[in-house]
Amino acid sequence: MKQPRSLDLLREVLDHEVVDAEDVSCGMVDDLAFGRGQDGPVLDALLVGPGAWGPRLPALLRLAAGRLVGRAVVRIPWHEVIEISEVIRLRSTAAELGLGRLDRKVGRWLAKLPMS
Amino acid sequence: MAQFAEIFLGILTAMGGFVEIGELTFTLNGGTRFAYQLLWVNLLGTIGIIVYCEMAGRVAAVKHRAVFSLIRERAGFSAGLLTLVASAIVNLLTCSAEIGGVALLWQLVSGAPYRVLLLLALLFLVLVVWLLSFQSIERIFGLGGLLMIVFGIALVHLGPDWRALAAGFVPRWPQTSHPRDTLLYFYFAVALMSSIMLPYETYFYASGGIEDKWKPSDVGLNRLVVIVGFTLGGLLSVALVGMGAEFFAAKDVEPQLPGTAALGVAATLGQWGLFAALLGMFFAFGGAAIETALASAYNLAQFAGWPWGKHRRKRDAGRFTLSWLAVFVLATIVVQTGVDPVSVVEYSIVFSVVVLPFTYFPVLMVAKDKSIMGEHANGWLSNTLGWFYLVAITLAALAAIPLFLLTHGGRG
Repeated sequence: MKQPRSLDLLREVLDHEVVDAEDVSCGMVDDLAFGRGQDGPVLDALLVGPGAWGPRLPALLRLAAGRLVGRAVVRIPWHEVIEISEVIRLRSTAAELGLGRLDRKVGRWLAKLPMS
Repeated sequence: MAQFAEIFLGILTAMGGFVEIGELTFTLNGGTRFAYQLLWVNLLGTIGIIVYCEMAGRVAAVKHRAVFSLIRERAGFSAGLLTLVASAIVNLLTCSAEIGGVALLWQLVSGAPYRVLLLLALLFLVLVVWLLSFQSIERIFGLGGLLMIVFGIALVHLGPDWRALAAGFVPRWPQTSHPRDTLLYFYFAVALMSSIMLPYETYFYASGGIEDKWKPSDVGLNRLVVIVGFTLGGLLSVALVGMGAEFFAAKDVEPQLPGTAALGVAATLGQWGLFAALLGMFFAFGGAAIETALASAYNLAQFAGWPWGKHRRKRDAGRFTLSWLAVFVLATIVVQTGVDPVSVVEYSIVFSVVVLPFTYFPVLMVAKDKSIMGEHANGWLSNTLGWFYLVAITLAALAAIPLFLLTHGGRG
């Protein structure tokens, strides 16, 4: 019987690039969210967005970072992950998951300019 | 034949894009103050940038991974964020200095007010990046920068002391008359090393490999272009040291401004030499301004996981596009304040060396990892050189700021 592969979340998931179903970068794994399972903690979701940076920053920088880069964070359910390699590949598109909203907003604005 | 042309053009582009305003300032001044005594640093720095750009280019070709996503992944979030902020500051300062350099060159030719020319330079650079493809920008500015060869022709024309030049490649304790000059010598050694190994070059080179859609089969092309192109580029920097030693030292002139640097060529080769030098510097500074602005946007996008690249439509990489536009605007504001571009260069060069170890460590970690790179992982030579340079740049980074303060920013 094939043994299930163990996964080093810190080395293989956290701070890795997230790529959507259309092969477009849509963020980094900025933090991980755990729930409570029968045998202990269970990985529930990936947290993507600068709003998840706070707990990982020194206390002094936390407030400044919140003001500078915003508090947006998107929760990606773990079952959305279909591949873990150099990048974390998702089943759905960024738009379906609510990722990359600002990029699309800026893109719509840029689209009004010639040769964009 | 097409592949031969590709290699040839790649080598020439790498050579032409090697020198920028920081390197020009420190090589000419280093040559003026210490003749050929610092040439070994040129050699050391050139091999260093070859080693790390080759590794970063190889990782880009094999794994399609750019430097900043590796930095965050391998060095961790906090160290990655620190490197991002520090590199953003030095890239901004370098970009400011290059834009200032372009405006100074235009002022020399037109006599128009410097601040107006800064705005024109901003408009010109934004239009170039907006309208041209990545490859066209790379080729036009790289090949245009080749006109800097005129400094080499001028040096040969001056008839340099070849024996002293060759002896300069061997490291030795400086022959100076005062302990303060010894400190100055080491300050110039660190600054020269930093100016040759500026971190943005590695960011830009690796991201450029992904823009150009390199494949694992391009590993050989990457190696050839980096080794031959940067070696020839290194010869340009040797020529600049030579011009400092043979022309400016003899006339007791410190070539601080780009215009003064061109005077050496004008006095040796006449009017055509002057035009070639000015045009060569324009392409070199303009190209470096574009590379630093794009490198900043690449870094930010790779750290945060945004869609990035000149190969995408601007509307499909919104925050990336906005980032390089913002860097150009902020860089122009820095020099619009009236700060001397050469002083900005000095700060950017000294602080760049502090960023270098954080940039290179993750590149080495990934390039040597067989589980990631497979058969394309570092061999013993790349590993040995990689570790050697990591130690060397860490020592340089530790010494940079004390030397900067002790020598009053190189003023003795």
